[in-house]
Amino acid sequence: MAMRLMRRGVLAVLLLTAATSCGRARRGSASSAARRGVLTISEQQQASWIRNFNPLLAPGGVRWATTAGIYEPLLIYNTMKGEYVPWLSTSYSWSADNKKLTFTLRPHVLWSDGQPFRAADVAFTFALTRKHRALDLHNVWAYVSAVEARDDATVEISFNRPYVPSLFHLGQQPIVPEHIWKNIADPVTYPNENPVATGPFTEVTVFQNQVFELGRNPHYWQEGKPALTGLRFPAYPGNDQANLALIGGEADWAGNFVPDIDRVFVKRSPADYHYWFPLVAGTVLLYTNTTKAPFNDVRVRKAVSLAIDRAQIVKVAMYDYTRPSDGTGLCDAYARMRSESAVAAGDWVKHDVARAEQLLNEAGYPRGADGVRHGPDGAPLKLDVNVVTGWSDWVRAAQIITQNLKRAGVAASLKAHDFSAFFEKLQKGNFDLSMGWSVEGPTPYSFYVELMSSQTAKPVGELAATNWNRFTSAEADTLFREFEATNDPAVQRRLEDRMQMLFAENAPSIPLFPNPSWGEYSTAHFEGFPNRENPYAKLSPNNPPEYLLVLTELRPK
Amino acid sequence: MRYLLKHFGLYAVAAWASLTLNFLLPRLMPGDPASAMFGRFKGQLQPEALAALREAFGFTNEPLLAQYVKYVSHMLRGDLGVSVAYFPAKVTTVIGTGLMWTLFLTGFAVVISFALGMLLGVYAAWRRGGYLDSILPPVLVLLGAFPYFWLAMIGLYFLGFVLDWFPLRHAYDDSISPGANWAFISSVIEHLCLPSIVIVVATLGGWMLGMRNTMIGVLSEDYITMAQAKGLSQRRIMFNYAARNALLPNITGFGMALGFVLSGSLLTEIVFSYPGQGYLLVQAVRNQDYPLMQGLFLTITLAVLGANWLVDIVYVWLDPRTRGR
Repeated sequence: MAMRLMRRGVLAVLLLTAATSCGRARRGSASSAARRGVLTISEQQQASWIRNFNPLLAPGGVRWATTAGIYEPLLIYNTMKGEYVPWLSTSYSWSADNKKLTFTLRPHVLWSDGQPFRAADVAFTFALTRKHRALDLHNVWAYVSAVEARDDATVEISFNRPYVPSLFHLGQQPIVPEHIWKNIADPVTYPNENPVATGPFTEVTVFQNQVFELGRNPHYWQEGKPALTGLRFPAYPGNDQANLALIGGEADWAGNFVPDIDRVFVKRSPADYHYWFPLVAGTVLLYTNTTKAPFNDVRVRKAVSLAIDRAQIVKVAMYDYTRPSDGTGLCDAYARMRSESAVAAGDWVKHDVARAEQLLNEAGYPRGADGVRHGPDGAPLKLDVNVVTGWSDWVRAAQIITQNLKRAGVAASLKAHDFSAFFEKLQKGNFDLSMGWSVEGPTPYSFYVELMSSQTAKPVGELAATNWNRFTSAEADTLFREFEATNDPAVQRRLEDRMQMLFAENAPSIPLFPNPSWGEYSTAHFEGFPNRENPYAKLSPNNPPEYLLVLTELRPK
Repeated sequence: MRYLLKHFGLYAVAAWASLTLNFLLPRLMPGDPASAMFGRFKGQLQPEALAALREAFGFTNEPLLAQYVKYVSHMLRGDLGVSVAYFPAKVTTVIGTGLMWTLFLTGFAVVISFALGMLLGVYAAWRRGGYLDSILPPVLVLLGAFPYFWLAMIGLYFLGFVLDWFPLRHAYDDSISPGANWAFISSVIEHLCLPSIVIVVATLGGWMLGMRNTMIGVLSEDYITMAQAKGLSQRRIMFNYAARNALLPNITGFGMALGFVLSGSLLTEIVFSYPGQGYLLVQAVRNQDYPLMQGLFLTITLAVLGANWLVDIVYVWLDPRTRGR
């Protein structure tokens, strides 16, 4: 009896599935959204969405577009043009001693509930980040002493010491409305499920665990914008699923790493599928632990760099998406500021095994009878190269590096760790060599201060946010302090040149290749994307608030 | 009755032991949630903000015993804490997004797999040495030897991407909102097909082989010969006498499998972007999200214990020999 019922049950289910599967248009949801003027974006990777639109938390933890798209900052830095775009503020000015920064706000801006946007909102936002340090993501209150609203359209920020590069963080802080947030008990845990904001898309029209949609702001301050009716975000748990959606035409805009993109993606629809990977997303470096032997010796650092075949890494690990780094370590975001003399001085990034061997011999690591180099104490030169499991492009690069080092007589071995373990080792300084990324920012100062400043170098065993190689130099510190206090472009250029020379002379860590900024798009239903021919902004949706420049330009075809 | 109560007591002890282990294990892992959190927001968070966030999360350096007492008392109140990976959502909210879908998909797949496996096992044993018996078990066991996610990817590629017979992702079509209407229900069934086919194919071999072997043992019993001598129909003997008795050991296995439903199809869910608990567990481990990990392990523990207890009760009903006590 039970058997018979089971059999019937199985048959019924099979018939039902057959009945429902037939004749259903499957690849429909993205194109039906596109017909409504809704852009489908693949950026965050989650299996299901949690409703959190709090712009004061780190962008990775809240829904995409919260920090820029729903909410907006005062300024947006455009990496491709190298300038700040006025957004909620129309202009800014520094006082003569660079200890006061004044923003003039844009008039006639309304919040999405119709209330006017005022300087009091800006002052209130900063006061929130001061009161709740968990929201002060860039620790601005270490050098800011006060943020005051002089009148409805002027905000004055006072510093306790001159720190001009802070414009990048202060100007790009998302602003929240005082009239809503003053009633929130704990802004750190507030999920802000129905945001009131100034951005182009503030209405949450659909929110299910698999997909959510944002609709237009009825009071947006830019006339006729946004041209899109809305934004749509299906949930994809991993890179493979996100790439599958991109290839299948389910996503119009994405910032994924796609291997062999011409064959995998573009070939499927060459008329519509495009990508652009400008090399402006920082530099991938091989960090060296300069706190102990052998990497406390600059000759060993340069020798390791000379032994690495960057051309092979770029070709095999990075599918030729990038190029080998030069001796300054700068990516193309700083192309305008690159110093040719520093590039010439940094000739230790070329592949020259003979010179590497010579330098290692000089530094006191000659080859032993077994071919492996040993130090003055007789111990063999054994180095571990740390990398994250699963980051296949980095793993391949690290494999090539390990092979190159072995050829130079170093007993190198690859150690792949899970991300948490890898990152903890990196931050605490428990490594010999480790792959790592660099900080992105508007000037070379942002790059170098996180590699050479004693402010960022923490002792081994303590968690360090950056400067994992823990390199310090008194001259570098002087340069950084001078840079922080000046607003004069000529002085800045001189200092930047000197910083590059310092890096080229000292090789604190080993630059491998500039990191591509990932961006893919489909012009099947929408147009207005930046690309190599029209580089009006960075294409990648991975960097708030810069993608806001693209969001306001996109339009249905 | 006493038998059931005794068993319940045993299960309560098992529950307490696994909850304690549940508390200890995440804390024994290398790395700590603070640096994991740091890593997730790489470049976006300064150490001072991180320190403040740590306090918000409640990462204290209290002695382990104090933490344990707090953990147990909160859990008894149903407060599983705030997730680190999905801060500031509560753990119960996060688990709520995925629990039902995992139960649905894996529960459905396990039940189908078991039912089909039992049927096939019965026929294979009855006609042992025949075509069904010689070909199907080796083929199914071979298929079961492949890792789930590999089968899932093959299925997704050929049946979904190349042939377009099945949808490629999610639990239901994105343009439909959940509701008690036929469009939604049919979409759910349609999206259920491919993931459950993969799970059924991967697990069928085990059930079939198990049932076949116990059937063969039962078929050699005297009462089967007597039934045949008495002239009962083949079908009647096969199902009402042989299969019913051969089913008993497999029911215990079924209970175990039901319990592991909540952790089983991790990778299958990820391949099909199915919004279930599998991905949450992976994220929790990667981010060393202790509260979420504890919450998820709790659901798995309770599911396994609950399923086993249910099976114990069903067993008493099915097998009169256990009722004597």
